[in-house]
Amino acid sequence: MANWTLDQLKQELSKRPTVKGWVLSREHVQRRERYFLADRQTLAIDQDRNVRAHALSARIFVKLSREGRQGEITQKFFPSLPLGPQLDAAVEGAAQTDHLAWDLPVSPPSNLPTRKTADPRIAEDVERAVRQASEKIGLLVAVKRATQFSSAELFISLHDRELHLSNGLIHRSSQSRVYSEAAFSMSRKNARGQIESDEYLNTTWAVGLDDLKLDALFNEASDRAEHSLDIKKPQSGRYPVVVEADVLAMLFNTHLSHLTALNAYHRLPFTKPGDEFIPGAEGDLITLSLDPTLDFAADTLAVSEQGLEQKPLLLVDKNRVVATSADLQYGSYQKTSPTTSRGNVVVAPGTLSYGELLRSEPLVLEVLQFSALFPDAASGTFSSEIRLARLHDQVTGTVTYIKGGSLSGSIAENFKSARFSKETAKKAHFDSGNSGPGQGYFGPAYALLSDVSVVG
Amino acid sequence: MANSILRATLDPELLPLRKTFQQLLPLLDQSPKHPDWYGSIYFERKHSRSQMANLRATNVSSQVTIGAVLRIYDGYTLFEQATDDLDPSALTRTAQEFADRVGGTPPSPGALKRPYEVPSWSDRLAFTLDPEITSQIPAGVSAETPVHFGVRFERDPARPSTEQRVTRLKGLVERFVAIAIEEGMKPDELSFVMARGSFAEEESIFIDRETNLSQTLYRMALTLVTMSSADRIGDRVGGLGGLEATEVTEEEMRIQIRKLRALKTAERLIPGKYRVLVNPGIAGVIAHEAFGHSQEGDTCARGRSKAWELHKAGESVGNELATILNSPAIYKNGATSTAAWGSYFFDEEGWLAQEHVILDRGKLKSPMTNLTSAIRLGIPRTANGKRENWSQGVYTRQTNTYFSAGDKTLDQMMKLLGDGFIATECAGGMEDPKGMGIQVGIQYLEEVKGGKKSGRVFKGPAGGDIQLTGYTPDVLNAILAKSKIEFDSASPDQAQHPTNDTGGCGKYHKEFVFAGCGGPWMLLDPIMLG
Repeated sequence: MANWTLDQLKQELSKRPTVKGWVLSREHVQRRERYFLADRQTLAIDQDRNVRAHALSARIFVKLSREGRQGEITQKFFPSLPLGPQLDAAVEGAAQTDHLAWDLPVSPPSNLPTRKTADPRIAEDVERAVRQASEKIGLLVAVKRATQFSSAELFISLHDRELHLSNGLIHRSSQSRVYSEAAFSMSRKNARGQIESDEYLNTTWAVGLDDLKLDALFNEASDRAEHSLDIKKPQSGRYPVVVEADVLAMLFNTHLSHLTALNAYHRLPFTKPGDEFIPGAEGDLITLSLDPTLDFAADTLAVSEQGLEQKPLLLVDKNRVVATSADLQYGSYQKTSPTTSRGNVVVAPGTLSYGELLRSEPLVLEVLQFSALFPDAASGTFSSEIRLARLHDQVTGTVTYIKGGSLSGSIAENFKSARFSKETAKKAHFDSGNSGPGQGYFGPAYALLSDVSVVG
Repeated sequence: MANSILRATLDPELLPLRKTFQQLLPLLDQSPKHPDWYGSIYFERKHSRSQMANLRATNVSSQVTIGAVLRIYDGYTLFEQATDDLDPSALTRTAQEFADRVGGTPPSPGALKRPYEVPSWSDRLAFTLDPEITSQIPAGVSAETPVHFGVRFERDPARPSTEQRVTRLKGLVERFVAIAIEEGMKPDELSFVMARGSFAEEESIFIDRETNLSQTLYRMALTLVTMSSADRIGDRVGGLGGLEATEVTEEEMRIQIRKLRALKTAERLIPGKYRVLVNPGIAGVIAHEAFGHSQEGDTCARGRSKAWELHKAGESVGNELATILNSPAIYKNGATSTAAWGSYFFDEEGWLAQEHVILDRGKLKSPMTNLTSAIRLGIPRTANGKRENWSQGVYTRQTNTYFSAGDKTLDQMMKLLGDGFIATECAGGMEDPKGMGIQVGIQYLEEVKGGKKSGRVFKGPAGGDIQLTGYTPDVLNAILAKSKIEFDSASPDQAQHPTNDTGGCGKYHKEFVFAGCGGPWMLLDPIMLG
C-alpha cells in the first residue's frame, strides 16, 4: 500500500532547511528470463522467470556548518513505509559525511533531445519478444550439427526511468536490454578409446533486437566447439596478437578512468590533456570519444544524473589527449567546466582489413576467447588464460587451434604499435543484477597488438 | 551458558508478511487442477549500510533490496514470478495470475516429467546437521512451525552510530598515512587510501508445504585499500557475526604498507613452471575454480561439465592430498568465532546447510545441487541453490569451498618450499568446467631462497597480475603438502574448519554472489605461472 507519492517526497525535501539539493531516480523493471537445456535430445526449459521490480533511489545533499563542505547520502526509499523516518535517517546520515561543496545547475536544461534507447518491439510487448526469440532459439537448436547443443539463456528486460532533480528537471526515458548465451559441446573417442570432450560458450548483450544476432551467436558457438578438441598448447614467447571487439570494449572502457576528473581529484592514475594516450605510440594512432547519442547502444542517454545534457565528447585525437571527462561534481572540484561524463566509447577504425591483420606478421596468434580477462584500471595491465585461439602461420600456411596457457599485456606497451581493423563492431555490456549504466563500444572489430607475452 | 548466546532475530515487522505467504501457498502448490505442482515462496530483505573514508572525503550509503519469489515446479520447468509489490492484495493477485500463466503453459514436446517429492521435517532431521542448526529447531517441529535461524554474534553490529563508524574509518585512513611515513614512504608516495565498512542485515523466509523457515544473517566487512601511483594493495576482513568480525590490528596495517612498498620495486616474472606456496585464500580460489564450478549440478545438467563424466567413470583427477569440500555450515571460521563468508542455515530453496565433500583424495563425489539440477540428475539435493538477489534466477552456487587441512606448520612448509615463491594476494579466477582448464590470478609473488624470503618481489610479465594456469588434474596432482588450520602451532588443530576468505563469484560471467574460499597453506610443484 503506497503511503506517499514522489511529489510528497519532493515537498518534504524542500521543507528541510539543511537539504541543499537532491537527485531522485525512479525505475520500473520488467524482465523475462528463460534457461534452456538439452533434455534427452529435446529442447527443454529448465527455468522460466518473470520479474517486476520498482526502485526509488535518492541522492541527497545537505549543508554542513564547515565552510565550503557538504554532506551527501545515497539511499533507497520505500513508498510502502512511512516517509518521515526514512527521510530523517537519510538527512542524519548525510550530515555525517564530508565532501567539498558543489552545486547542481541552477536551472535545468531545456529541449533535451530524444535518444533511441529502447527497442520499440520490446517496449510494446516484452512477452512477445521473448516468445519470438525463444522460437528462434528452438530453430537454431534443431539445426543438424557436428556438435551437441548443451544450453542457452535468454533475458529480455525493459527499464522505465524517471529522473527528478531539485532544480526542477524531470526526465523520463526507457531502455531495453537483451542477454543471450549458447553453449555447444564436442565429444569423440580418442586413439586410446577414451571419450574426450570440450565446449564453447558464447555470450552477448544488446539493447535492440537487431543487434542480438542469434544466428551468429549459436553458429559461432557450435563452430568453435567443433574445433575445441583439435587443440595444442601455445609455445611460450612473445607474439603479435589479434583480439576481438569484446576485448577492446572492455579494455577501453576500463582505461577511460585515466581521462576523468575523478581520477585527477583522488590522485589516481590520470592522463592530462596534451599528453599522449599511449606513450610513444607508433601504430594506428587512437582517436577515442564518448558518444551518448548512438542508437540502441548500452550507454546512450540525453541527460546525466546531475542534470547535464550529454553530447559527443572527443577525448583523444590521434593519440593526443584533448579533454578530461568531468561530471559536475568533479569538474567543480578540479575547477574545470563540466563535460559529458557518460556515453559509449567510440574508437576510430583503422585501414587494414581483418585478413590483412592476420597476415601482417609471419606468426599471428588470434585469441577467440579468453577464460576471464581481468584488466587493472590503475596500471592498464591485463591478463588471462587463453580459452581458445588460432595460430596463423604465414610461412607454412597453416592455422592451428590453441587452448591453455596465459597471456599478459599492458595498454601502455602492447598498444604502442597496435593496428586496428577497418571493419567495425558494436558491443554492449551490462551487469545483470544491477540497473546501473552499461558499457557501450563502437569501433574496430579487431586489433593487432604487438609483442604480447604468452606462456604455454 | 546457552542463554547468554546472542543471535540475530527476524524483524517482527515481517511476521504479517510471513502469514500472507502461508495463505498464498495453496494457490501455487498441489492445487485441485494441478496436484503435482510443487509450490514454494522465497522472500528476502537485505539492508546494507556502508561508510567510506578516503584522503579527501567521507561517504555513507544505505541500500535495501526487498522482494518475494513465487515458485511453481510443474514436473518439467521451475517457474518463478518475482515481485517487490508486497501489499497482500497485490501479492494475491500476482500469485493468481502466475498460477494461471503456469497452468496455461504446456510442457516442451517430448519433455520427460520428473515430479518432486517434498521432504518432511523427519526426513530433514535424518541428515547430519550442525548443532548450530539443530539447536535452533524447536522440538516437535511440524510443517506449520515457524523455525527461525539467527547467526551468532558477540558484539552487536547495530550498536555503533553512523558517526562512530565514520570516525573509526577516518582514524584508519589517518593511521595508514602515519604508518607509511614510519615505514619510509615519502608523504606524497601514498597517493590513495580508502577504508570502507559495511554491515548488512540479510533476512529471508522460505515456505513450502512442509516447512516454514526464516533466517537472519549479519554480514560484516572492512575493506582497506592503499595505493601508490598504479600500485595497489587491497584487503578485506569480514564474516557473519558481530563487530568482532571486522577487527584489524596495527600490525596488519603495517604489513599492508610494507607490501605496497615492495610493489614499488617489483621485478617482472619470467613465465614458466615454478614451485609455489599459496596461502589459504589462494588455495580456496584454486578449490573454487578447479572442482568447485565443475561440480555445480546445474552445469552438469546442462551437459557443460567434464566432472560429471569423470565422476561416473570413477577416474582420479588429483592426488591423495586433493580433497575439496563445500559447506555453508561453517559457523566458526578457522580459529575465529564468526561464521565464514559463504555460510547460511538454509539455501534460497529451503534446503538445510550441510558439509559436502566434492573431491575425496582425488576422486570426484556427487555434485552440489539446487532443486532442478538434483531432480534432472537424479542425485541428492544439497544446500547450494543461490541467487544474486530476489530478482535474479537461482543456480547451483558454491558457498564456502576449501581444501581439507594438512598436518604441517607454516615453518615446515617454508622449509619444504626451499627455493620458490610465496603467493598471498589473489586477483580473481575463472573456471573451465568442460575443458578442465584453470585460471587463478595472483597479484604478485615473493621469492624464497633456502626457505627464507629473499626480499625480491615479482609481478606478471607485463607488469600486472600473474596467472596460475594449467590442466586442473595436473594442478591437483602437483599438491606436495598442506598445512594445519592453526599453522603457527605444532599442537593438534582445535579449529574444525579451515579458514575461508571473503570472496565473490560471478558464475557464467554474470551472476554475482558472496562466496567463501579457503583451505590450508599448500605447496605446489610444478605450477605454470605467467
